Amino acid sequence: MAHQAHSYHMVDPSPWPIFGAAAALLTTSGLIMWFHYNSSALLATGLLSMLLVMLQWWRDIVRESTFQGHHTPTVQKGLRYGMILFITSEAFFFLGFFWAFFHSSLVPTPELGGQWPPTGIKPLNPMEVPLLNTAILLASGVTVTWAHHSITEGNRKHAIHALTLTILLGFYFTALQAMEYYEAPFSIADSVYGSTFFVATGFHGLHVIIGSTFLTVCLLRLIKFHFTSNHHFGFEAAAWYWHFVDVIWLFLYMTIYWWGS
Amino acid sequence: MWRSLLSLRQISQRTISTASRRQLENRVPEKQKLFQEDNGLPVYLKGGAMDGLLYRVTMGLTVFGTGYVLYELMVASMPKKQK
Repeated sequence: MAHQAHSYHMVDPSPWPIFGAAAALLTTSGLIMWFHYNSSALLATGLLSMLLVMLQWWRDIVRESTFQGHHTPTVQKGLRYGMILFITSEAFFFLGFFWAFFHSSLVPTPELGGQWPPTGIKPLNPMEVPLLNTAILLASGVTVTWAHHSITEGNRKHAIHALTLTILLGFYFTALQAMEYYEAPFSIADSVYGSTFFVATGFHGLHVIIGSTFLTVCLLRLIKFHFTSNHHFGFEAAAWYWHFVDVIWLFLYMTIYWWGS
Repeated sequence: MWRSLLSLRQISQRTISTASRRQLENRVPEKQKLFQEDNGLPVYLKGGAMDGLLYRVTMGLTVFGTGYVLYELMVASMPKKQK
């Protein structure tokens, strides 16, 4: 049996990249069918195939690393670079929405009454639920760090407790934010205030859900003994992502919720 | 009161039956053996019959879906002439 003379991972041929591209085609075309032709079958097919591709692709990565041992330190270094670059790209994504907010709020037009918040808009009180949400996410940053320390110290029980607590805090944030959305006296259609508020906080909420899902997968892997005390990059990536989500919220809170009220 | 609380703790720790205890044991070595078996299977099919089923379902959805998209594209690019 031939052995490689380098520490990189030459992956088995895989169908997931092309199926993933097809799923993206189905999803985008499905959006057009839904918007213009009142048909949601294609969109549903696209989203379902996207989900299937993600599940199987990431399942294969767990197999290649934990079960086949392909994630050498060299490979792990590449994965670290990759995750950092991805999070950086997400930071730029949110930067765009913050730009849009400041563009409209620093120089409010006459159509808005020349003021921010615009005339007639009753903004949410930043000292009520939004402040609680801030405390929740900050606390979850502490618990995820506690989980990490527990993993490196080999304390299985504490790691499971801390990670579970982190996920529960994430769910609590999402539930409170959903309630705020329902109870808000303004909607996305209420001038550029509504647009900037709901698009920025909406994308943030989506990222909280993605982050919570990532952490939940890590919890399942932690319970199944996948992580060792010095090799647990999947968890580290989830923790980095979670801290990023927390930082974005802090910026949202300080700018849109507090300064913008 | 403390003695009864302590014994309650001991009982709750001992009530996990042998069946569910197997689920809390480290089964990674078994998985490592399965996925390192020299059977020529690629990683996306190496886990068993379920892998093949999921693969076929995913392929079916994406291939059928892509065909449908091309069909709709053809239909949309030939607008119905109005009298």
